[in-house]
Amino acid sequence: MIPKWLHLVAICSLAQAAAVLPACGGPAQETAATAPVALAAPPADGLRPPEAFAGISDPSERSRALFSEMSRVMLHPRCVNCHPSGDSPHQRDAMTLHDPPVTRGPADQGVVGMECTSCHQDKNLALARVPGAPKWHLAPKIMAWEGRSAAALCEQVKDPARNGGKNLRQIVEHAAHDPLVAWGWAPGAGRTPVPGSQAKFGALAAAWVEAGAACPKEEARR
Amino acid sequence: MTELIVRVNGTEQKLDVDPEMPLLWALRDVIGLTGTKYGCGQALCGACVVHLNGEVVRSCVTPVSRAAGGSVVTIEGLSPDGNHPLQRAWVELGVPQCGFCQAGQIMTAAALLAKKPRPTDAEIDESLAGNLCRCGTYPRIRAAVRKAAGNASGA
Amino acid sequence: MMSPLPGRPAPRVAKSESPPKRTEDREHTESAIVIPRRSFLAALGLTVGTLAVGFETLAPAEARAATAAGGPVIAPQLPKGDGGTTPNVFVHIAPDGTVSIVCHRSEMGQGIRSSLPVLIADELGADMAKVKIIQGDADEIYGDQNTDGSHSVRGEGYDGARKAGAAARMMLIAAAAKKWNVAASACEARDHAVVLRSSSSSARSLGFGELAVLAAKLPPPKPKDIVLRPKSELRRAGGPLPLLDGPDIVTGRAIYGADMRLPGMLTAVVARPPVVGGKVERYDAARAKAIAGVKRIVDMPALPSGPPKFHPLGGVAVVADNTWAAMRGRDALDITWTAGDNGSYDSARYRDALLASVRAPGNPVRKVGDVDGALAKAARKVEAEYHVPHLSQAPMEPPAAVARVDANGCEVWACSQDPQTARKEVASALGIDEKRVTIHVTFLGGGFGRKSKPDFIVEAALVARAAGVPVRLVWTREDDVRHGYFHSTCTQRIAAGLDERGKVVGWLHRTAFPSIESTFAPDKTFGGDGELAQGVLDWPLAIPNVRAEVCEARAHVRIGWMRSVHNINHAFAISSFIDEIAHARGQDPREVLLEVIGPPRIMGLKELGAAKVRNYGASLEEHPVDAGRLRRVVERVTEMANWAGYQNARKGAKTAATERAFGLAAHRSFLTYVAVVAAVTKDAAGKIRVDEAWMAADAGTILNPDRVKSQLEGAFVFGMSVALHGAITARAGAVEQSNFRDYPVTRIGEVPRNIHVELIANDGLPGGVGEPGVPPVAPAITNAVFALTGKRVRELPLARAGLVT
Repeated sequence: MIPKWLHLVAICSLAQAAAVLPACGGPAQETAATAPVALAAPPADGLRPPEAFAGISDPSERSRALFSEMSRVMLHPRCVNCHPSGDSPHQRDAMTLHDPPVTRGPADQGVVGMECTSCHQDKNLALARVPGAPKWHLAPKIMAWEGRSAAALCEQVKDPARNGGKNLRQIVEHAAHDPLVAWGWAPGAGRTPVPGSQAKFGALAAAWVEAGAACPKEEARR
Repeated sequence: MTELIVRVNGTEQKLDVDPEMPLLWALRDVIGLTGTKYGCGQALCGACVVHLNGEVVRSCVTPVSRAAGGSVVTIEGLSPDGNHPLQRAWVELGVPQCGFCQAGQIMTAAALLAKKPRPTDAEIDESLAGNLCRCGTYPRIRAAVRKAAGNASGA
Repeated sequence: MMSPLPGRPAPRVAKSESPPKRTEDREHTESAIVIPRRSFLAALGLTVGTLAVGFETLAPAEARAATAAGGPVIAPQLPKGDGGTTPNVFVHIAPDGTVSIVCHRSEMGQGIRSSLPVLIADELGADMAKVKIIQGDADEIYGDQNTDGSHSVRGEGYDGARKAGAAARMMLIAAAAKKWNVAASACEARDHAVVLRSSSSSARSLGFGELAVLAAKLPPPKPKDIVLRPKSELRRAGGPLPLLDGPDIVTGRAIYGADMRLPGMLTAVVARPPVVGGKVERYDAARAKAIAGVKRIVDMPALPSGPPKFHPLGGVAVVADNTWAAMRGRDALDITWTAGDNGSYDSARYRDALLASVRAPGNPVRKVGDVDGALAKAARKVEAEYHVPHLSQAPMEPPAAVARVDANGCEVWACSQDPQTARKEVASALGIDEKRVTIHVTFLGGGFGRKSKPDFIVEAALVARAAGVPVRLVWTREDDVRHGYFHSTCTQRIAAGLDERGKVVGWLHRTAFPSIESTFAPDKTFGGDGELAQGVLDWPLAIPNVRAEVCEARAHVRIGWMRSVHNINHAFAISSFIDEIAHARGQDPREVLLEVIGPPRIMGLKELGAAKVRNYGASLEEHPVDAGRLRRVVERVTEMANWAGYQNARKGAKTAATERAFGLAAHRSFLTYVAVVAAVTKDAAGKIRVDEAWMAADAGTILNPDRVKSQLEGAFVFGMSVALHGAITARAGAVEQSNFRDYPVTRIGEVPRNIHVELIANDGLPGGVGEPGVPPVAPAITNAVFALTGKRVRELPLARAGLVT
């Protein structure tokens, strides 16, 4: 009983090949037959608002569905590229290895001479294609999202040992207001943004927590 | 235009420029320090590397506003007389060919040695991964960094 | 020449000197003796004007006549009126002992400034600490200044430099002999002084400075009277020579094209048509003009119809206070372009067209025996098709030039490989006499052939004239990648017939590539003689039936030369194909390579089966196709790599042999023979890594061994880029690549820990050095890839096959 869009998310998050992927996180194909509750198609910005889930009466069910929607942002290449499991960030929708070759370094900020901030500024640049946001750096390995299913991602994000010690309220705050997270929606230079908006993503997170912060069931196939 | 104050090679410079102007052009065109080079404008080649507050930045993409109130060192200021161990090793081993990338290479290597006085071969390659050389002086660059680090045989 | 900027010390130009004054003395520099340029262009049979070869004449007839009458040699850049001696246009000795030597070739990393002047100094007997090197401006008095084709030391360079130094030595000795009232033969010049040979007394020693004053009144020796030292007396040449410009380079003092600063100078960048031959249909500069620092917008003349030559491509220039404002201004231009005839150029379709071209007969250019018969009767056939894409030279310094145009004429500082052609083109573009154009040559941040084309210099002159102030015109990396003179893309087909024993009895080689000649002349749709002489006509094949054909290919981009030029394409195909024959026969590729090269022998035109071989501007008598020298580098490099040990391990079929594999290739180019072994492995992700490399080179007499070694090391890295990474492709006529993100080049982490280079020592005539290391590299790597993976790569780069990170 896996909605097709969840398949897409799983496939997208696994892919590391040089082939160009279809836009992950874009409007999904819906089949009412596979979804427990028929959700309306996402709006033009590609991300359903919390209200779209109001029809799911069971809070756990609703909570799981809300997180699945959030995962369409979090497992998008714009996010996963800097949440790798290895020692190098990735680039582009195809999620190829970062070029020039960049190594994680002991503090997830690059090695001497190739620190993230030696190139990346606190905002995107006008003529150069280098993306930027405040405190540009790699997510630590415990926050690697590469290859995760929505279910595994959810457990990871909720776990204070693996999320930088955040409680649920802080997770929502981070989602709604962190400037580096914000970059995903305004990546510059023609890069595909993650779906929706940060405000909507924050609202989804809040709604997910309010409904019990349940995690999708582990059904994604590898 | 706001006036920005940047200390460059120990001298205070008052820059009356667009704060978004990349530091590279402030150095080259406004102050007149042409030792730092333009190779790509996209932080892909490292020819523009300088030190900002002791750390490597690629000046072609670093807005001058980021250097405001800070201290910049360029190749001209790496040593008073060309006697930085890297500069000496570079000359002794005949590292440069055309020489255009070498300021960036040396500045990156200098930052590396300042933080890791005895880098391994892998660390040298990782830190210099962003510095391109079309003439192919890489083997000699590696040897010169090891020599300057006092580690001729490499680890 | 250069006024100091207010408040700052004058930027130190690396030992460069003032340009000549515009006086009637210039008339005397018309060339009296016409000697064909032994340059790459001349080797291609392209007429670019005949010039006095400065080294051979040492001074044109009028100048010599003036000197014989007691007047000074007219040397435009050497000190005058200081009471010293100027034996020729290359050397001056001042009363304080300073020896000024002109380096008349461009320094782009090959170390020419540290080489030829040292040879002159050695012949003279000078102490290098007292030698000042002056970079030659564009001036026919120096002879050929075109720095390409690996011909600065070979050809007239080596002997010419010696003669220039010898002439100076003879004058100083003559002065000493006169003063001491002894025979000249009793004197010798060394350590910056002339001494009496048998004397131990210091009274019989005169420093160069003192002698310069005495010698100033003596006539220089006639060229036929110049006597060279015994080679054994050359103290430094051939030994370790320091990189003289090293200290300036590592302190940021060396001046490159964009580093030249003049008072009141503005900076310009140009928006050029995306397609060659395209034009501006209309544009709106309102937003551009509104950008702070933008001073003016200049329309560039459109590319004339016909061959592009060195004409600027056209477009719109933005001139501003600084580079940043100019770039932003250009970005703010709103331009609509027309594409023109090349607008349909598509690399994928073009590749198909090249393939079709080589699958049909072409024009025969090499013929021995009866290939068709041999192939028909062959017990077995091996056939393959190879493709190399367009490539970009991508020097680290994109083209840049500074120009000042005023009532006197035009003065330029540029990173030019060919300042005399730049001078001609600027004069022509401005409609003024060449005598009123001065071209100073800065350091070049890499050339690789791009900077022998002065289109960027003409652009600077035109914009400077329009602006009425000095203008520095810079190319961005995007400009350099998109608007180059590209290496020719090439498809080849080779078919070989083998007899029952596997011996090659027939060889048919077809090559199709857009010709460099298309850049200069209309309707050039076949590769020219000079181009075919790069690896098609001169490959020593011990095969009784050979035919090579050139097949048609039209150019749709500007074609230029890139370091070793068509040798890259032809070495890739031939060296890969020989490897394919070896594997088809189940034999050691080294054995098959030596078998195909055949026994040591000189191959003349008859054996080669060619009517004529341009031979890089040299005669086949002086620089024959020598199969023995090619064999020797193959033998030496395989010895260095312990090829035999590797082959034994492979025969043992242990896993080790398939974890690391060798590839071998060899090629003759620019009169030098190079063989390469590359070792490759695969990383955890299955990507190819070049693990180690060996190179053996026979370049005849070596002037500066360390520079030659560094050129070969560098050629290996350059060749890795060719093998692994880059391709220039076009869609709808426009180049698709723009910067190092989509035209990657080799990075430090990819380079093997050890590139072993050995120079085969010998006393032969000097061959070229800057280019010959490149051609064998890509096939050595792809041959190794086959041995490692069983996958035969016939199209470069390897990245296309997904084999590279």
